[in-house]
Amino acid sequence: MSITHHPGEELLIAYASGAASDAVSLLVASHLSLCPDCRAAVSRAEAAGGTLLAGIAPVALERDAYQSVLARLDKPSAEILRSAKITSEVPAPLQAYVGGDFGALDWRHITAGLAYFPLPTKGRTRARLIRAYPGAGVASHSHRGEEWTLVLTGSFTDATGNYRAGDVQSATPQVRHKPVADPGPACINLVVTDAPLIFEGLLPKIVGRFFGF
Amino acid sequence: MTEAVDPARLNALVAAVARARDRAAFQALFDHFAPRVKGYLMRLGAGSAVAEDLAQEAMLAVWRKAGLFDPAKASASTWIFTIARNLRIDAIRKERRPEPDPADPLQRPETERAADETVDWAKAEERLRAALADLPREQSQVIELSFLAEKPHSLIAAELGLPLGTVKSRIRLAMARLRVALGDGI
Repeated sequence: MSITHHPGEELLIAYASGAASDAVSLLVASHLSLCPDCRAAVSRAEAAGGTLLAGIAPVALERDAYQSVLARLDKPSAEILRSAKITSEVPAPLQAYVGGDFGALDWRHITAGLAYFPLPTKGRTRARLIRAYPGAGVASHSHRGEEWTLVLTGSFTDATGNYRAGDVQSATPQVRHKPVADPGPACINLVVTDAPLIFEGLLPKIVGRFFGF
Repeated sequence: MTEAVDPARLNALVAAVARARDRAAFQALFDHFAPRVKGYLMRLGAGSAVAEDLAQEAMLAVWRKAGLFDPAKASASTWIFTIARNLRIDAIRKERRPEPDPADPLQRPETERAADETVDWAKAEERLRAALADLPREQSQVIELSFLAEKPHSLIAAELGLPLGTVKSRIRLAMARLRVALGDGI
């Protein structure tokens, strides 16, 4: 199973530089877990960051800075190392938000086939999980800002193509689409929008709309 | 700041810290990187007290995590850049930056690489420096704004008065050039 739809280079560089919001970072990091090609692209972008750091104008530290770091070298670190992950359908970066089991989440039902779960990311972009059973989908909509969708399980189709686990769909404000979950296991997506109110505004439209029924 | 420092020497210093807890090597790394990390953080808008604290934290992390440094994955500058970037984000958001975990059983492996085909990131960094200096201004500008002003592409577009699509394509063109400069296998 190979990934055919990748996040744009601008998203990868935003992640590598640290400019990406929490929600976008979560989406990119989850995609990276599934995509070696984009991991390589992020390594290249980080190398550009390292090269820029190497060329930056240095600013002198306080006179006693080295001594004070030296004094702390042998103190044990308070940092807790991440534990090895249990086998799960949830990529590691997302486990911090939802644990290891999509089924155990307190899904909020929109219709019989469609549910969502908001993720408490910080900043102006919003992240949520959307679960659609085969044939269910989100009502036709356009976007005020950008929207990125990472498929986690199952697959969905809209006018722009077919998206499977690991794929990222990027929708700009011009894109109008009507994604519908394919037959098979439930389609669970991580959806990130940078215009937070648009999805909330669409909820009424989503409610009661079924596709393929 | 243009003084040329040999990336391979910096790699060797990190290795010495990892292997022998070598304090002289650590001091050399501190002298080289701490002022740059502080400069980087201030460039991104941190006050000098915060930048000072985070630069010291970053160097402490270099000491503690030196064993995790893998020269086959990044140069010392790149590794320390990622440490400083993450510390800054964690300090601002009070939350850990989402990152892929190599221990994640879901993680799909890299495509097999021939055993003799390891990447020399220290050498690659020199090529990258030349390539960055060679980029057309409109491309280097978007890369610098991404890293040193830490602006997402939508803000870069607004600031430069450019359509989003133009900023995206400049980023793509710049990254394509850097990829060529880095060479095969990276």
